[in-house]
Amino acid sequence: MARVNFEDVEIGQEIGPLLKGPLTTPHLMRWSAAMENWHKIHYDERFAKEHDKLPGLLINGSLKQQFIVQLLKDWAGREGWVWKVNFQFRAMNIVGETLSVWAKVRGKREAPAYGLVELDLGIRNEKGLESTPGSAVVALPYRGRAAVPYPFVPPPAG
Amino acid sequence: MPLLTDEVRKHIGAESAPFPACDPVEKGAVRRYAQAIMDPDPAYASDEAGARYGGAVAPPLYPAFMFRTPFGEPDVLTERAHDPDFDGLVMGVRDGLPELPLHGFALLNGGAEVEFYRYARHGETVLQKSRYADIYERETRAGPMVFVIIETEYTNGAGELLMRARKTIIRRK
Repeated sequence: MARVNFEDVEIGQEIGPLLKGPLTTPHLMRWSAAMENWHKIHYDERFAKEHDKLPGLLINGSLKQQFIVQLLKDWAGREGWVWKVNFQFRAMNIVGETLSVWAKVRGKREAPAYGLVELDLGIRNEKGLESTPGSAVVALPYRGRAAVPYPFVPPPAG
Repeated sequence: MPLLTDEVRKHIGAESAPFPACDPVEKGAVRRYAQAIMDPDPAYASDEAGARYGGAVAPPLYPAFMFRTPFGEPDVLTERAHDPDFDGLVMGVRDGLPELPLHGFALLNGGAEVEFYRYARHGETVLQKSRYADIYERETRAGPMVFVIIETEYTNGAGELLMRARKTIIRRK
């Protein structure tokens, strides 16, 4: 993972996309098993449609958020740090879709020990549906200076 | 008739005492999790690759998924096998909060705000403390829904903060 310096980041710059999919029923089953969560709407199609009135088996929001964090973490690299991430599950993604996770730099501000980059982010499917709008704050090191402290120490003003 | 009754609303502010996940961060569980999220970061398996974090670590959100059913607890899947409304979720165990009396309501994940401070290392114990920060009803295009806001703080066995999460859970008829 390459080091990204705060100075090298430009407003409007796009990060990613990170592609995941097509996400099949076994992918959802594997995730359900890994986290031991047996929510039927991810594998019991009849329950999803007839009881919960859903259009099909849903790709877990809990899985989609992992993809968002992965994109940001891999971009920040070992010497940066993903501080804040928020996302809203506004639309459903159905089994079979391929998800494209993106982020775009919205703003930059300087803290004493590192710079903070604000990003908008989202998850888009093949049809262009944006299901998961959100934002993030990532800390990046200044050029020629030390890595962002680990464990992360928030800037004085919060 | 509103979905949100006083019986549900009285849970606002209810808090769990800090309690540990039933297992520490296990190498094999981390591998299965990392494979399931398809993130091949070598820091999830190697002390050398995770040196920056003090050794091999779990993926950033892993602490939020460690609160499984402890060994010896009643088997909810069997207990509710004949309940046509049972959605497969075993909620009460996972955040230490009392289950809301919303039997038969569908549950959807609305989103979250998360802050990260450090990653959980292999072998570490993780504790959480959760609270119902808010519960409110809102009219949406798909009808009335109950929004449940849960704030959780995750720490390691040494009391060091790992992450904070403010989750939105949507319940609807």
